[in-house]
Amino acid sequence: MTSERHAADLLETVARQVDGAEVYELHSLELPVRFAFGELESLRSVETAGRALRLIKGGRLGFSTTTDLADEVTLLRNALESAEFGDAAPFQFPEEQPAADVACFDPQVEWLDEEKLIAMGEQIVEQIKAYDDQLQTEVSIHKSVQRVRLLNTSGLDVEYPRTGLAISIEVTRTREGDILVVYDSASSHRAEDIDASVLAEDIIRRLRWSERVVKAESRTMPVVFQRMGTAVPLLPLFSGLNGRQVFLGASPLAKELGEQAFDQRLTLVDDGRLDHASRSAPFDDEGVPTTQKPLIEGGLVRQFLYDLKTAGLAGAQPTGNGFKSGPSGGGFQRPPNVAPSTWLVTPGSQRVNEILEGLNEALLVEQVIGLGQGNVMAGEFSNNVSVGFLVRNGEIIGRVKNTMIAGNVYQLLRDQLIALGDEPSRVLGILHVPAIAVDGVGVASRG
Amino acid sequence: MRDLIVQALEHSSADYTDIRVERRWRTEVVYQREHLHNASASSEVGGIARCLVGGGWGIAVFNSIDDLERKVEDAHRIAQIVSTKLPETVELAPVAPVQDEVRVSLQKDPRTVTLHEKQELLKSYNDILRTYSDSIVTTNARYTDSFQEISFANSAGTFIVEERPDVTLMLAATARDGEANIQTAFEQVGRAAGFEAAEGQEHKAQAAARRAVNLLAAKPARGGSYTVVLDPLLAGVFIHEAFGHLCEADFVFKNARLQEILQPGRTFGVKELNVLEDGYIPGLRGNAKYDDEGTPRRRIHLIRDGLLQGFMHSRETAARMGATPTGNARAISYRFPPIVRMRNTYIDRGNASFEQMLEGVQNGIYACAAFGGQTELEQFTFSAGYAYEIVDGTIGDMVREVVLTGNIFETLKNIDLIGNDLQIYGGAGGCGKSEQSPLPVTLGSPHVRIQNLTVGGRAQ
Repeated sequence: MTSERHAADLLETVARQVDGAEVYELHSLELPVRFAFGELESLRSVETAGRALRLIKGGRLGFSTTTDLADEVTLLRNALESAEFGDAAPFQFPEEQPAADVACFDPQVEWLDEEKLIAMGEQIVEQIKAYDDQLQTEVSIHKSVQRVRLLNTSGLDVEYPRTGLAISIEVTRTREGDILVVYDSASSHRAEDIDASVLAEDIIRRLRWSERVVKAESRTMPVVFQRMGTAVPLLPLFSGLNGRQVFLGASPLAKELGEQAFDQRLTLVDDGRLDHASRSAPFDDEGVPTTQKPLIEGGLVRQFLYDLKTAGLAGAQPTGNGFKSGPSGGGFQRPPNVAPSTWLVTPGSQRVNEILEGLNEALLVEQVIGLGQGNVMAGEFSNNVSVGFLVRNGEIIGRVKNTMIAGNVYQLLRDQLIALGDEPSRVLGILHVPAIAVDGVGVASRG
Repeated sequence: MRDLIVQALEHSSADYTDIRVERRWRTEVVYQREHLHNASASSEVGGIARCLVGGGWGIAVFNSIDDLERKVEDAHRIAQIVSTKLPETVELAPVAPVQDEVRVSLQKDPRTVTLHEKQELLKSYNDILRTYSDSIVTTNARYTDSFQEISFANSAGTFIVEERPDVTLMLAATARDGEANIQTAFEQVGRAAGFEAAEGQEHKAQAAARRAVNLLAAKPARGGSYTVVLDPLLAGVFIHEAFGHLCEADFVFKNARLQEILQPGRTFGVKELNVLEDGYIPGLRGNAKYDDEGTPRRRIHLIRDGLLQGFMHSRETAARMGATPTGNARAISYRFPPIVRMRNTYIDRGNASFEQMLEGVQNGIYACAAFGGQTELEQFTFSAGYAYEIVDGTIGDMVREVVLTGNIFETLKNIDLIGNDLQIYGGAGGCGKSEQSPLPVTLGSPHVRIQNLTVGGRAQ
């Protein structure tokens, strides 16, 4: 578009009227492909661009966004209006600091065209069909190529390309009186990290283990969280270790910095630089270099996550965790907020089999319904186990149905940790986590 | 704009083409504790073109309207690729072409209310939340408004311009007692209306703060099987999540086994059970005179007199299932094609009074509001926002951490009483389906009583 003004020109215009300003610009080319009921359903070509302007005037913060890159008048007017009575800005826009070289672009992803993406989907569908042709398979494949540009009046000028490839598979088995839904997903900046056949194979493994339905006893018992199941004990920590919730006084860990709040075998690292991980980048969305740091080390709470604003309010250092998207999405329209990068939990030494063999009776939980519902802040969970297995002395007895698990994550990870598995899995594009075995989980079953 | 769209349609040689262009104005104000976390206004323009060629869809999404013709060509090219891969081709049920302009008149158009006024209003609610009690440690108050102007046109001669306003308010308070006892409660408002819908909601702020504090003293529910009375809000969430989604035809139209289970005419509940899906009730968030395929709205029964009646349809699912489109093809924005979605979904009123529902219940739960809900086909879970014990026919102590779970088909049949006090709610969030969230919808119900429902909980 000829009338499109460059971000640098916009910043220059704005700079004269304010104390500080930041322009964030995102250009995206995306190809989402969907298969439903084992057939190609739709393919979309998406070309979008958007701009966010954040500024400080009279010590107050203003923010606005637009997709109309030619109309900077409205953008500036909106941002200035917002700054008239905005919150006091407890920070300055940062100068450019040296950042690590983080791999987040892969030409192999850029080269994936419509035909190749469709072929990937067809292969997944065929693989599932070869196991059981009565299953319903849905596949989503999402390819993206983006250009991020961030500049501010402190002299920061950052531009980098990034690619993304994400696949999700959902398989439904419908039988009279029993419907089973099994799903999985993977995402990365790099094509070779996404092995669709491994993903499909693991779905088939869960289907195979689900042939027989058994009933668990209603009582307190050990639970081994595996793969997506690990989100149950870890999800509340997204809030608990978020510097904003700590500052606001809502996090149960608010006063635990340096304290032994978890079992000493638990070490959790937030890594913004992990090569190719889908949440990695050289800088966060405020231009602060991303970092790699333990949040929990040997059970001690070491660090909370901060963006510029929260760090300013709390008198802490920004950690490179100011992102425009949280674990559940976002976009250039959002102001930056505290969000995790990739979380790595240090593995233990036992294989999952060995852990299970050491337990008389346990539930192996791989997928739940109701994640994130309820009193997450306090660490409470209460989930329906949608894919989970009753295991006796290491032997898979069958799949449990109509079964709820409940507990408190903070209490379980402090007092009830049995073991951590030896092999981490990549889960939900954000966790690299081994199996987590805990005792004392409430199990209620019916039917 | 109109000329650009008409011209691009004329240029298209696809079997069918439609174009949807959206202009949208939004504001958001957020308070957390005493901090104004965000106050911003944004504007957005974008479009989507769909081409049907040889029975396959091709779709192109864009921000640059000047590129419209090129984007239609792109959609055409993709449709050609897709059409070679399909075992069965897509057909569209007929909808009469229409020319219409749907303008709304709002008491207080949010585009003319200053950001400052919106911030002041939210601050006044946030102050109520914050100062209600010393136990309140933090708050989360959010005001949003959105005004969409959507132009929809297709190659069959339809051209519709429709305005859709939306205003929401979310007021949450978090109370804390010691290290581990942290409780959150919230109230929400959502209307297809102007700024006025967000005014005068002080009582909601008070209710949220009071409840957060009361929850500190509530005891966790004991897991087990109970007679459960759902309040209209939670019953509405239940019918939307657990049942409504199953009646979206794109869920069943290619699934023979699910069609056997969801056989119209099959008994799904007591004779008093009626579930409706309505495209227009004044002021409600799910309203649209036309859906995002240009189909005029209809009001349909999903369940009538306890029997499954029918499904919600797009033009594609209606053609496949030999039905009539119902006006349920909706998209959250220009970034997505329309898919089958709910609008205003509710259980219709019955005859029972609240007192009748409590009668004879020895050991039950009165579950209210919802922290959230999720379903995987027949399985569902819902977290009540708060709840009370029912002891010997009367409401007892407040309990918390009430999570309801079960099988939708069994649970619908276990509804034995339906109240006479229908209420419909438009929350501050919306509905999510595949990658499209949040879509403004409403949901509702009278009080309903369910026998033998599982409540999860730590205390056994």
